[in-house]
Amino acid sequence: MIEYQNLFTRVQVHAPVDEGVPLRGGTWGRDGKPFLNYWAGKFGDAQIGPIYLGTLGVFSLLFGFIAFEIIGLNMMRSVHWSPIQFIRQLPWLSLEPPAPKYGLHIPPLNQGGWWLLAGFFLTLAILCWWVRMYQRTRALGMGSHIVWAFASAIWLYLVLGFIRPLLVGSWSEAVPFGIFPHLDWTAAFSIRYGNLFYNPFHMLSIAFLYGSAVLFAMHAATVLAASRYGAEREIEQITDRGTAGERMGLFWRWTMGFNATTESIHRWAFWFATLTTLTGGFGILLTGTAVDNWFLWAQKHGVAPSYPVLYSVKPEQAPFLRGQYMGVAPDSFPGMMRDASGRLVPQKLPIPQGANATGDVELYNKPVLSTDNMRDSLNADGLFIMSAVYFDTGSDGLRGESDAELANLAALMTKYPTLKVEVQGHTDNVGDPTANLTLSQGRAERVRDMLTTKYGVAADRIKSRGFGQTKPTASNDTPEGRRLNRRVEIASEGKVVLPAERTP
Amino acid sequence: MITRQTVQVGALLALVMLGACKNAPDVLKPGPKKIAQEGYRGTGMETNYDPDDIAKTAAYNQAPKPLPPAPPGPPGQYKNVQVLTNISAAEFGRTMTAMSSWVAGGAGNCAYCHNTANFASDSTAKGQLLYTKLTARMMLRMTRHINSDYTRHVGGTGVTCYTCHRGKPLPNGLWFYSDQNQILRHYLDRDDIRVQSHTVEPLPGAAANRTSIRQTYNTYALMVTQSKALGVNCTYCHNSRAWTSWEQSTPKRVVAMYGAAMLRDMNMNYLNPLQPVYPRSRLGEHGDAPKAQCITCHNGVYKPLYGAKMVSDYPALWGAAGWDATAGPLDATGKPLFDGAPLTEPGVTPSGTKMSAAPTTATAAAVEVAMGVTPVSAMPAVTKVPARPTP
Repeated sequence: MIEYQNLFTRVQVHAPVDEGVPLRGGTWGRDGKPFLNYWAGKFGDAQIGPIYLGTLGVFSLLFGFIAFEIIGLNMMRSVHWSPIQFIRQLPWLSLEPPAPKYGLHIPPLNQGGWWLLAGFFLTLAILCWWVRMYQRTRALGMGSHIVWAFASAIWLYLVLGFIRPLLVGSWSEAVPFGIFPHLDWTAAFSIRYGNLFYNPFHMLSIAFLYGSAVLFAMHAATVLAASRYGAEREIEQITDRGTAGERMGLFWRWTMGFNATTESIHRWAFWFATLTTLTGGFGILLTGTAVDNWFLWAQKHGVAPSYPVLYSVKPEQAPFLRGQYMGVAPDSFPGMMRDASGRLVPQKLPIPQGANATGDVELYNKPVLSTDNMRDSLNADGLFIMSAVYFDTGSDGLRGESDAELANLAALMTKYPTLKVEVQGHTDNVGDPTANLTLSQGRAERVRDMLTTKYGVAADRIKSRGFGQTKPTASNDTPEGRRLNRRVEIASEGKVVLPAERTP
Repeated sequence: MITRQTVQVGALLALVMLGACKNAPDVLKPGPKKIAQEGYRGTGMETNYDPDDIAKTAAYNQAPKPLPPAPPGPPGQYKNVQVLTNISAAEFGRTMTAMSSWVAGGAGNCAYCHNTANFASDSTAKGQLLYTKLTARMMLRMTRHINSDYTRHVGGTGVTCYTCHRGKPLPNGLWFYSDQNQILRHYLDRDDIRVQSHTVEPLPGAAANRTSIRQTYNTYALMVTQSKALGVNCTYCHNSRAWTSWEQSTPKRVVAMYGAAMLRDMNMNYLNPLQPVYPRSRLGEHGDAPKAQCITCHNGVYKPLYGAKMVSDYPALWGAAGWDATAGPLDATGKPLFDGAPLTEPGVTPSGTKMSAAPTTATAAAVEVAMGVTPVSAMPAVTKVPARPTP
């Protein structure tokens, strides 16, 4: 009995070579005299050729060859045209995109111009090949599933190398050509944008990718396992599902209660595979355009959990590791400064020495306003400044340490159901005024969101508004003044008289 | 004929050969692996060890036995002593003996640095500069500076010459300017190591984070040099889900940050300024002085010599830093000869002058003047030296 239980196909049908159906349309004939190959027969059909190349096929190969040569010759140049070094270092050789300073301009050839040319020709080659595949499916009267699946992969390729760089405004964001370099790019891209792991479209893409592998394994194994009943002979199954198809369905229905059909399993596989690159492309497209740090995004939306702190730290470490350091923690290794006589002097590290040493240091232990404090201020002035509401530096991420005072504010709103307030955000004058305006708006919104979502205050009772740096309460020239100017105010709508609770 | 049996035997043979291969990756080496948990459970913050590897590195990282202590005595009896001015003659001799075995390949190899006809001199009998002696003097300044001013990195462990030199004149991991070493310029004069944004959304206009992927890769590579230098994983310092976040990092990250600051100081103010002193053979292809990185001291271990407090046995290495920002070499007009400033391109100082090749033919007197050192002949015998400041 013939069996299909091996790594290779053990059955080879040697029949006279077949030219296939007559060509419909097409400017070219088929090329090559068909022949049979024993080893090809181990993996698939033993017949090689003929091939339909066509105009698009010729152009595709030509453009692909140009791109291949540009990449290869640039790599050769990078090892000073040494063939031995080319072979030794090939996995690490790279044709890099232009540097950030060129933006979307066309740089000199050896500064990334060759990268642009290689990308241009490679893209042309791929697109020609895609149209060619479309035409061949039409010529054979097939559906266009293959070209759409291929289009999904091209979508990801174009997002990575063309669409996203255009949106971000820099060719430097694109992927280098090279074996390890393009893999290193992937790791560095994830690091630069705060961990792609937290990108929901990346999650989807990975799920579809792994799902594709599972479906592939299930489907292939099922068909092979039933091949002793002729499961691989499709023609019989189309007219009569037969004993093999019956068994395959039964197996999965017995195993997991549900079975795909011999037709639907291919739809499963098609969509899983196609969605892998489709969702992946959206994930890349959002990165650096809508979201600059995926971890912070995940933290903001409650996707990334926080963990308890386990360490005991020294006093000089606490400002960093306990988040008490509100200035920008040393963003680079400290440099050397020149003194008055021009000598280099090692610069002191900006180490926060204590809570009151500089305005850049902020401990999360400021006094919390009580409901009574808030009420009295509103009665007197129509507004008050939140004392213990904290945000991450330069961001509208509301810190957990703010909970106590926000709870009191919520209690105030509950106690006086007619009270309507506006949350007003303010910043100091450090940085771009527009960015500050956006930041203050964001911070005010976060406070309002917290009150409406966590404490259930009706949304129409609380508004939010950002003023940026336009309304300082103190001089921006001193750290202390700037600290006072970074604030959140609560203003009542109109004059209010909130009665104090009667003491029993 | 491929049968099931041949495939099985072949696979077994392949496994045996891989296991026997000396250079097989760690995962293929037999024997248990160990994992030390460094953070909260489930965060993957752990350090992976192969005990066999530890045994090997441990053998290389043993501190030598200290020399017998020197008898107490009044400080200073030798001429032309510029750094170790506050220790007794006996302690001075003991320190010199230790240095010759730590650096010059064996105790008693005085001639590696000294003119044995005139130990006080900074030049040979023929008047040529003893670059090794001038280097050693600078290194002593540096060692004292590290031990007294960088306790946030070296703690109470401190460093000695042996921490880096390990009995050899040239420590491990010295680096020079080159295309491949660009990332190591972070340990000299390059900033911009941080790459991630502090905001969820991209900031508009000029506030936007324009860090490129290439730059991110450089930071990544730099971090890997630190990881390899200490023989630890990324998670020794970081929670890898948010590299930037200090709050999720371990205290070791703060220690490492001070270490980077220390390296900058060392390279900028002690190692680079020696450039005019070295002979050409000690310089890099762009004519720059050898510089240090993490592995130079750490030698593959999280604490150099596993935290052995060698320096406590050598009080000479504890003294005041002796670094007064005027130690750099000066030319005849009093301008810095080479100021250690960032080079705009390899081999060219910012002022555009080409760095001179090492003055191997310069007379000792000329270089001493250039370095702001009083010539021996003009130096009075040491009579009184200030008492050693308490460390």
